[in-house]
Amino acid sequence: MRILVIEDDAEAAAYVAKGLREAGHVVDHAVDGQAGLNMASAGDYDAYIIDRMLPKLDGVSLLTRRREAGDETPALFLSALGEVDDRVTGFKAGGDDYLVKPYAFSELLARVEALGRRRAAPANVTTRYAVGDLEIDVITRTVRRAGKKIDLQPREFRLLEYLMRHAGQVVTRTMLLENVWEYHFDPQTNVIDVHISRLRSKIDKDFERPLLKTVRGAGYTIDDAA
Amino acid sequence: MTTQLDASERPIGAESRKLSKRASARPPLWKFPPSKKAGAPAKKSGVRPALKGLDKKDAPGAKPAAGGARGSALRLLRTSSFRFAMAYVVVFAIAVGVLGVYIYNATFGVASRQTDALINQEIEVLADVFAKDGAATLRRVVRDRAAWRDGGIYMLIAAPSGAVLAGNLSALPVESLSADDDFFNFSFERQRADPSGGADNIETRLGRGKIKRFRASPDAQTFFLVFVGRDVTDRERLLERTQRLIFRLALATVAVGLVIGLGFSRSLLRQVDAVNRTARAIRGGDLSKRIALTGAGDELEDLAVNLNSMLDQIERLMTGMREVSDNIAHDLRSPLTRIKARLSAAMKGDDREKEEALRLTLDETESMIATFNALLSIARIESGEGAGAMEAVDLVAIAQEMTELYEPAAQEAGFELVLDAAPSPPVKGSRALISQAIANLFDNALKYAVGGSKIEIRVRPSATAKNAVELEVADNGPGVPAEDREHVLQRFVRLETSRTTSGSGLGLSLVAAIARAHRASLTLDDAHPGADAAARGLLVTIRFPAL
Repeated sequence: MRILVIEDDAEAAAYVAKGLREAGHVVDHAVDGQAGLNMASAGDYDAYIIDRMLPKLDGVSLLTRRREAGDETPALFLSALGEVDDRVTGFKAGGDDYLVKPYAFSELLARVEALGRRRAAPANVTTRYAVGDLEIDVITRTVRRAGKKIDLQPREFRLLEYLMRHAGQVVTRTMLLENVWEYHFDPQTNVIDVHISRLRSKIDKDFERPLLKTVRGAGYTIDDAA
Repeated sequence: MTTQLDASERPIGAESRKLSKRASARPPLWKFPPSKKAGAPAKKSGVRPALKGLDKKDAPGAKPAAGGARGSALRLLRTSSFRFAMAYVVVFAIAVGVLGVYIYNATFGVASRQTDALINQEIEVLADVFAKDGAATLRRVVRDRAAWRDGGIYMLIAAPSGAVLAGNLSALPVESLSADDDFFNFSFERQRADPSGGADNIETRLGRGKIKRFRASPDAQTFFLVFVGRDVTDRERLLERTQRLIFRLALATVAVGLVIGLGFSRSLLRQVDAVNRTARAIRGGDLSKRIALTGAGDELEDLAVNLNSMLDQIERLMTGMREVSDNIAHDLRSPLTRIKARLSAAMKGDDREKEEALRLTLDETESMIATFNALLSIARIESGEGAGAMEAVDLVAIAQEMTELYEPAAQEAGFELVLDAAPSPPVKGSRALISQAIANLFDNALKYAVGGSKIEIRVRPSATAKNAVELEVADNGPGVPAEDREHVLQRFVRLETSRTTSGSGLGLSLVAAIARAHRASLTLDDAHPGADAAARGLLVTIRFPAL
């Protein structure tokens, strides 16, 4: 992915850029809002990572202008402003995701890759997902592994559905809390982990090959890789 | 040439008396306004001597109200209430003017047209007499009519000789010269009906009339001038009085409006000044200043009350911010100091020590981030920001969702999580904040209810308070001693007994802030008062006002 990082904190930007490059992405860096706007207009990027508070032109105005110009590139806001209203402002400006500083790099990577994936398969409304021999049908709400039907609670189904939609990607605990439960807070205890382990016991326990994996220090992923 | 009416019907052709000279020097007292200019009298009357006097007398009466310091008078004139009062005065004055015009048209206009019609009629009758019976009869008829003393004025003059043949005026009024065949107004003198006036019992009166030429045949050398008029003195005087009255009324309206407008503006300015004084004092740094209330209960008082509550909010916010910065200084400085010391030591150590230091530092920064986020959340919630829109929310539904979210984690930690929800009315709140409060209470219970086995969450309409919904979270751990309860709601407080547990110490203060943002009351109590000290448990009750 070609990613444009618009961040005025040089050290933070260098850290992000280094991490993204290590993950195999091409990264450009803009140091202020104006430079970011120019680079975004000139270049063809797969995703933007935009700090909300930038010199010369703030992140929200920058993205608003790009969206007005018809630029659909997915964008993730980075901000020290984390409350609901700030998120809403970010989403209204055309942001696709929102991450509050300080964040773990793994969280950022997972979200940016999710954005890139979303763009790669646009409007392709799939109602059936499959990873290995695990299949789910979103319409009939059925789950099968190796042809055998598995019964899930509604919330477990939504959890699995989210993981399946992002198969092969790392999904963080916060992403799960936000997208499956629609809550925006940092639970102090291991609430998500326990839900994952319950789900895992239903879909992986009786099978030789585990599909739902824990990514240390980051979150979870569901894939068929060995 | 002036005319004089002889009340006793003096012989025709009698000479003018010396009085006539004096009278001719006077300007006509009143020119009857053409009816199309009916709207003008009030304006015109301003030039009349009598009304000029009135001007002088009344105008200063309106001015003293604007007295006082020039600056404050100017401010008064600029106030919106004064402008409003002035606009009102102008509208009212115009209304009085329009009413005057209407009254004029309906009374004097009609009377004046009737007079003219009467005169025309008389002339027609006389013309008829002349045409049928000739000059001699006309002369006799005119003489008879002139003798009637009913306010009618008649003259019959032979032309071109100019001999007065009959009539009750000594001569044609001078105004007739420029009148052609049209109506004209004139003044004449006449003896008072009441002779007790003494030597000078001649009065000037007003008349209105018309002159017509009577010819025996179109080419006759000689002809007669017939003058027919009416005495309109009484009507004109009444008109004059009415005009003066209307003018005075208008003037009084303006004066009263001016005084009321200035009065309103002054009282308004006084109240606005109080607000301004307070604002200046606050800008000067005294955040505790409040606008003094007048107790009038009007909208200005409303404004003052609102401004005061806004100032309360600002003061609370400022205090909160100060507290936050103090707390940050206090609680973040120590971990920072530890990190610095640890890293400095690790620089000199071997790889294993370095790695150990890095790991510890990472843990420490993570807990610092949690602390920092919690602090920011509290500050934002308390400032009323970050709550999102408050809307009708169902506490039962939120409690169900949160129970479902935490149930597996509670079970893993060895607790039974029990939801007991009774149907309850909706409350005004933020789903995000309330769920966060419940999460904090659950986290708190999981962390501190050491040795406990059960966490209960209850939602139900309050039994004690009307229109309130209670949300309770209870555990059966050691609880919080009564003397410490107030204390744990403050920031950064972790009881000595729980120092070893991780956490920011902000969980309950965040819950308290969320409760305050919802105008809900928060109480801590023993969950099981009768039980052992180790199993009394903590009962947290948040009482939300129902919608």
